[in-house]
Amino acid sequence: MPDLLPILVAALVAGTPLVYAALGELVAERAGVINLGVEGMMVVGAVVGFAAMMGGAGWPAAALAAAAAGAALALPFAALAVSLGANQIAAGLALTIFGTSLGSYIGKPYVGMALAPAPSALQQAAGQIPGLGVVLGQLHPLVWLSWAVFGGVWWFLYRARAGLVLRAVGESPASAWAIGHPVGRIRYAAVLFGGAMAGLAGAFVSVVYTALWTEGLIAGRGWIAVALVVFATWRPGRCFAGAYLFGGATIAQLFGQTALAAVPSELMSALPYLATVVVLVVISRDEARLRLHVPASLGKPFSA
Amino acid sequence: MTDLTRRRLLQGAAAAGLAAGLSPLAARPVLAAGEKLKVGVIHMGAISDTGWEYFQAEAWRALQEEFPDQVEVTVLENITQIQDCERLFRQLSIQGHQLLFGTTFSQYASLRKLAPTLPKSHFECCAGIDAGPNLGVFEARHYEGTYLTGIAAGRMTKSNVLGWVGAFPVPQVIYSLNAFLLGARSVNPEATLKIVWVNDWVNPGKEKDAVATLVAQGADVISGSPNTPVQGLAAEEKGVWSIGSTGDFSAYVKQKQLVSFELDWSAAHIEAAKGVMAGTWEPTARWRGLGPDGFVKMTTASPELPASVADEMAKAEAAIVDGSFQIFSGPIRDNAGEMRVAEGETMAPEDVKGMTWLVEGVEGSLPKG
Repeated sequence: MPDLLPILVAALVAGTPLVYAALGELVAERAGVINLGVEGMMVVGAVVGFAAMMGGAGWPAAALAAAAAGAALALPFAALAVSLGANQIAAGLALTIFGTSLGSYIGKPYVGMALAPAPSALQQAAGQIPGLGVVLGQLHPLVWLSWAVFGGVWWFLYRARAGLVLRAVGESPASAWAIGHPVGRIRYAAVLFGGAMAGLAGAFVSVVYTALWTEGLIAGRGWIAVALVVFATWRPGRCFAGAYLFGGATIAQLFGQTALAAVPSELMSALPYLATVVVLVVISRDEARLRLHVPASLGKPFSA
Repeated sequence: MTDLTRRRLLQGAAAAGLAAGLSPLAARPVLAAGEKLKVGVIHMGAISDTGWEYFQAEAWRALQEEFPDQVEVTVLENITQIQDCERLFRQLSIQGHQLLFGTTFSQYASLRKLAPTLPKSHFECCAGIDAGPNLGVFEARHYEGTYLTGIAAGRMTKSNVLGWVGAFPVPQVIYSLNAFLLGARSVNPEATLKIVWVNDWVNPGKEKDAVATLVAQGADVISGSPNTPVQGLAAEEKGVWSIGSTGDFSAYVKQKQLVSFELDWSAAHIEAAKGVMAGTWEPTARWRGLGPDGFVKMTTASPELPASVADEMAKAEAAIVDGSFQIFSGPIRDNAGEMRVAEGETMAPEDVKGMTWLVEGVEGSLPKG
């Protein structure tokens, strides 16, 4: 039996970009806006974060820059989908196509380059903690931050008044509007948050996970994040666990090839989507159950 | 390298039309005095600092250097869709490019049908299967490079477990990893090789995880066919050796890149250009490994590689180049124990090109049913 610690660490790292991107998308969808541009925003976040690191910035600045870039890219989407009431699916797909190409363009001078691996001081300090340090010391602070983001999103949605309002906007924008909530502004904020998280997820891939830039770096992770939100039935807790489940499945598949009886690796790559289809089938069995999970106004433009 | 402009395109089209109209059965174009040979290259991927397309670009750069005044190269990169490649090849041909290069196997099928229809240009495709009408192909015997790096790996491993990050289980990859282990076993019969398939040519995240997987299972020298430094960086992070297999990543992997070999297609480009200029170009299939005009070049070696090992590699290289040693000569068993190449026999090149079995000592199987 191989040592389990590297598997655990690898699964946590592989799941982290999904945690960021999926939680961001979840917040946007809970406000009633479905943004299929996650992949594109991740690509741009990845290249901006990487460029910042190459330009001499530290990882916190690079992460901030990537989040800002993701949010900036989400802005025109929000303008289309929220202000102009455009079809969200079409606008989101356009954003992915645009973001992927824009990322390639910005990343042109950096193709094939790599960052020197440099464990952050925080990480080294964490390695000294007895017990947990063995795991923590191998995880970049951006992994820890993703846990904080999860805690924050959960608290916001279920314990904060503003989160209640956001959910109300997602369920019934007309009612929320009627009692005086600025539906448009809330949806804008949710979409921009989603963009920032996607940008951060991308930066995590280029700065921490692979520490290099190349085309095709994101490799469909944005789509997995979108699928993950559905898989999680729009619940942050399930979303968080699901991210590690999907991340872990990739790692388990790689280990499985040499350590266990071989499962076709192509099938394992399709697993996140298969799992999502299964969840959709389960929650769609009856109308009531579906209404219980899906934000009622998801994908529907609202104009006062 | 010139840019495409509408004017040039129209000029080229007009010239081609005129020429075709005047002499429908014209012979192959031979350069007039003072005329430059126009060469076109279409890269399907982006030209980066490392990897497959980089070596393709190095070849036309070498061609430009060889004939600074006689050759003009038009380069188009990142043409990811094969339909676009076809359209652009046709366009370059109409513009009067006499020699056109495809850089990947993916362009081969298109060029196979395109080349005979554009007789004013001569076509060459890297990694194509076989020469066709008006289409030459060239491919490297990667396995000669992996065999030599295998010798280094076999000597340096302490666990006797080597690791291979596999892109796709195609013959090109299979004969490379088989030769890697044969090289290792030639100096260390205890060596075994573990493979992890990532099912992607470039997927840095998954490649990195694959390296971690291999290291966790005891591998202490990692090879594969990386297009980016990610495999080497991941290995270095884990404190194990990596091999720059078809790429030198020592600029990024500063401590733990053991040895590397690269692909050098300069000879293919220069020979084709010379042939076209002299009017002697013929579509041929070239499959070359090490050696002066070869397509495989050993490049860097870590300072920590003992001189005795470098010596062993040099001896094997010399024997491969002068033909006194064949890598795929028997006895070779597959990893199910069946004798594949009997004692005294050598595999035919066609059989090597179609290899779909793993040599003895490779752990794992091919991911196909």
